[in-house]
Amino acid sequence: MSLLVDFAAWLGTTSLSALVIGHDWLVPAIQVVHILAVAGVLIASLHIHLRALNLLERDVAQEQVAARFLPILWGALGVLAITGLLLIASEPTRAMFRTIFWVKLVLASAASLGTWAQGPLALRFNTGGVAAAPAQRALAVATLLVWLAVIYAGRWIAYADAWAGAPA
Amino acid sequence: MSLQSVALWLSETPLALELADSNWLFGTVEALHVAALTLVIGSIALVDLRLIGVGPARGTAQEVLERLVPFTLVGFGFALASGSVLLFANPIGYSENFWFAAKFSLLALAGINALVFHLFAQRKLAEPGSVIPRISGAISLSLWLGIVIAGRWIGYTL
Repeated sequence: MSLLVDFAAWLGTTSLSALVIGHDWLVPAIQVVHILAVAGVLIASLHIHLRALNLLERDVAQEQVAARFLPILWGALGVLAITGLLLIASEPTRAMFRTIFWVKLVLASAASLGTWAQGPLALRFNTGGVAAAPAQRALAVATLLVWLAVIYAGRWIAYADAWAGAPA
Repeated sequence: MSLQSVALWLSETPLALELADSNWLFGTVEALHVAALTLVIGSIALVDLRLIGVGPARGTAQEVLERLVPFTLVGFGFALASGSVLLFANPIGYSENFWFAAKFSLLALAGINALVFHLFAQRKLAEPGSVIPRISGAISLSLWLGIVIAGRWIGYTL
């Protein structure tokens, strides 16, 4: 934990942290952008996975749906990373010292990987691009549930207790 | 019956007392509200962007509408249900909050915009180069952005 304590202490001294803390309206504004990016992640993932479940855009090849929505997913994840970092800078002793924050990061990484994998899986199973293999259907349901868990974990950062001995 | 007396009555209901006591319940309903809201925003944004003439949604604006509006309605249903529960957590605070009133005013305007679109602008979709669907899409996008902003500001001003 000492590495995290040092990082939080350093982050608290940066001009970025001072900037975010210095303007009351900036934190909720960053959170608005964060929520809009979550919407981007969710709608892109829904398209890719519901296509694998044959519930959306059935007449389009899966890899084409993935090619259209993966750039939105990556872009939105980039915005989430930047706004997330700014939110941490606004309160360096908060999120990083709660288990749920790290759970959220692991789940978000797994869900991103699961969403990206649908395109290559469609090619791998050679389903002609239109039908979906059972493995893809299972991946679709699992990944969408993990994305919901990411949203739940994200909201839970506000309520979880910090680790014992974490800086106040 | 005034708004204050309704808020006072809501604050004394068993659900209000349970929400006040339980971080678990409040946080869970709030997370559901955020998930539902992001579904509404994501699907509406794709439709609105398609009306404006940009974005990744495939097909004609009419096809995009038919494909994505069910997602918006499901998301809105969950957002409405979870939002109604959240209302019990602090009815007096919400009833006196500017941003809460702003959010509901913007929601009403978004509803009126959707109705106007359905009644007048949707038939213009088939007309090439018609600017009315574009204007409707831009208004909707702006209103929903305002709804998210007002919603987030409630948490900071209660």
